[in-house]
This record gives sequence, structure tokens and C-alpha cells, in this order.
Amino acid sequence: MNKNSNTYIVIYATAMVVVVATLLAVAAMALKSRQEANMLNEKKEAILQSLSAVDRDYDAFVEAYAVDAEGAKIASVTPDAALQLLFDLKGAFAAGTYPVFEAEDGRIVLPVTGSGLWGPIWGYVALEQDMNTIAGVVFGHQGETPGLGAEIATPKHQALYAGKRLFEGDAFVSVVLRKGGAKDPAHEVDAITGGTKTSDGVTAMLRESLGAYAPLLAAKRSAEAASDASECETNNAENHE
Amino acid sequence: MSKEKEPIFSAKNLKYLTGPFSANNPVIVQILGICSALAVTVQLKPAIVMALSVTAVTAFSNLVMSLLRNGVPSRIRIIVQLVVIAALVILVDQVLKAYVYDVSKQLSVYVGLIITNCIVMGRVEAFALGNKPWPAFLDGIGNGLGYGLILVVVAFFRELFGSGTLFGLRVVPESWYMAEGGFYANNGLMLFPPMALIIVGCIIWIHRSRNKDLQEK
Repeated sequence: MNKNSNTYIVIYATAMVVVVATLLAVAAMALKSRQEANMLNEKKEAILQSLSAVDRDYDAFVEAYAVDAEGAKIASVTPDAALQLLFDLKGAFAAGTYPVFEAEDGRIVLPVTGSGLWGPIWGYVALEQDMNTIAGVVFGHQGETPGLGAEIATPKHQALYAGKRLFEGDAFVSVVLRKGGAKDPAHEVDAITGGTKTSDGVTAMLRESLGAYAPLLAAKRSAEAASDASECETNNAENHE
Repeated sequence: MSKEKEPIFSAKNLKYLTGPFSANNPVIVQILGICSALAVTVQLKPAIVMALSVTAVTAFSNLVMSLLRNGVPSRIRIIVQLVVIAALVILVDQVLKAYVYDVSKQLSVYVGLIITNCIVMGRVEAFALGNKPWPAFLDGIGNGLGYGLILVVVAFFRELFGSGTLFGLRVVPESWYMAEGGFYANNGLMLFPPMALIIVGCIIWIHRSRNKDLQEK
């Protein structure tokens, strides 16, 4: 048989591709569940990291649920389903489901998603019990420039956010990455030198994603204010007696 | 064809395995695979995983191509080699994602780039197509490990002097650092690829000075 005839080459190449494709498809399917478990685990770790609670057990420490655009809890979304929403967060936001991760101690973690310079960026923002002060953030990115935009994923940059506040009075103002250095200590952090577009992307991501949670945060804040007020009243009442 | 069956680990076969460790090392003698040697050697753990991944790919691509060597039409042999290598690399990538996810994230694109590692295709083209499966397999393992050896040596120095750790464990005591009032600072240059090139250069220098027959006249 002539090994250099066109027929032989075409048959050989076709058979080769079919065999390799089958092999890879089988391998991909066999390993899929493990890979997804890894990715889910990574998200759980990021949530715990934003809460500075990496040594805690996610399942015991964090309760996941979803809220709608008005901030009302959606009962049909189970904790697992809320976690699954993170795999397509943009789609979940568009569909009006907003996953929330509430820690045992009352702090909450909100996922955020946006666009950097080269591709998607995402993150987790943990808020203190006052639903205003940032407890910690974790950011991730797909392909920002190392040393420039990619700095958003470094602990050094993420440490800047702790203690910043989302609300001024009752108005949602978010946190801004300011070029040339933060001026307003409550709502601004330093933008990244040489990473202006990525910094702008983070600013937009925080404003839009956290803005979508503003009704929930406002509701939780007023609920807390009410309970504070009633505590004051009881205190006052006690004082009167 | 010799009538007597050659023992599996005959002196000749062992030479295929051990030759690439020193005298015929792919990185420091053949100067192949330098690019990934610069990229994945900041720490020891990814360097070792990369070394094992490349070893698996060179070994099995050599084995498969050696088995196919009599059937492959010579006009499309490069494409066939690429298909085999690419398939193996994808398999390795999938396995890493499933079993060592953190390392796989650290290695990121470099696992996929094993496809373009000159060592793999170089050995298939130069050795596997002209030899029987078992010697080809040993040659693949030998070249993968020879490459890995350099990777590990480079990563050892880069992690030790660049981060003061080995395998992520602290080796240089905290109290030595300037921040703690000591006298020591990590060498930041070690974390950048150029330093890997300098270390590889030093290894080549030492290696050649000890192996006179490798020196150019």
C-alpha cells in the first residue's frame, strides 16, 4: 500500500482525529466533577478569605442565599444553588438574582463582577455588621497585565479597602479608585499606577455590582438602626425607672 | 534483527535514559525548552509539577509515535506528531486541574505551552520515529527528567534567595530580615525571569568546565 497516496493520508488523518477526540472527550467527562468541585472550593475559599476567616469551615460558617433586585430573599434558591450562581454571576445579575453570603457573625459577603482592561474581573466584598464598612475584599482577574492591572489581585492592594465605607448617610456612594492617590479617606483608595483602565474597571464593578445590592443593604441598615433605637429606648426606660 | 532478546535494562537502553541527565542534557547542552525554564522556576513546587508533566508528555509522545512510526505517512508526520503531543498535553492539563488545582492555576498557560516545548517534538522527530517503542519511551523519560533536573536546580536557588523559602516553608529565619531589625533582604531580581537565564548560564558554565568534550574549539 502506498503510504503517500492521498487516500491513505486522508483516511489516516481522519481516523487519528476521531480516536484522539474520543479519548479527550472521555477524559474530560471523567474528570469534570472533580474539576468543578475544585472550582467551587476555590470560590468558598475566596469568600472565607474576604472575611479573613480562612481557617473556618465554609459550610458551618457561611450561609448562602439569593435576593431579588428589591433586596427580598428568594426562597426558591437553595444555598448550593446560590453558590452555583457564582459560575455565571453576570447572567445571575441580569436575571435579577443576587447571591449573598452571610457569615455566622452577621457580616456578609457580596460577589462583584465587571470588566478590566483585557478581560473579566471579579471579586468578593465582605461588609461588617453595619452593612457599610468594608471588612475585606478579594479580587480576581483573567488576563490583566502582570505588575500593572494584575496588582488588583495582590494582598497589598486589597488591604487598602478595609475600613472604607459604601454609604454616606443614607446615600450609596461606593468606593472609588482615585488616580494620583485617595483624597477622601472614607470612600477612596489609591488607583494602581500604570493600571488606570483596570482601576476604572474596579471602580465601575464596585459601583454597579454593589449598587445592585443597595436595597438589601439599606433594608438591613434600617433594621439594625431600628433595633439599636429600641435598645436605646429600653436603656432610657431603665434609666427613667 | 538479533535473535536474542535484548534485556529491558541493557547498558544501551540505560544510556538512553541517563544520557540526557548530563552529557546530552536538553536544556544546558541542546539549549531547548529555555522559555518554560524561565517561567515556572520561581518556586520549587510548580517547577517539579512542570518537570513531571513534561516527562509524562515526552515519554508517552515518544512511545506513541514510535508505535505509529511505520504507519505514519511521512508527508503529514509533523501534523500527526502535533496531534499526539497536543492530546497528551490536554490530558495532563485536565488531570492537573482535577488533582492539583492550585499548582495548575500557578502554572496557568505554561502547561498548555508544553505543546510548543522544543524538547518534546525534537525527541519525537529525532529519536522516536527511528527507534523501537521501549528505547523511545526511555529516551522520553530521560529527556523529561534531564529538563526537570535543571528546572529544580534553578527553582531551588530562585526560591531560596528570592523568597527565603523552600517548598513554601521558611528557610531564612524571620529575625534576619531588615523589617525585623536584621541584616537580610530577599533578592527581588530572583523573582524575575532574567535571573533564571543567569542561573542557567552559570549551570552551563560549570557543566562545560567539567566536561571538556563539550567545549567549542
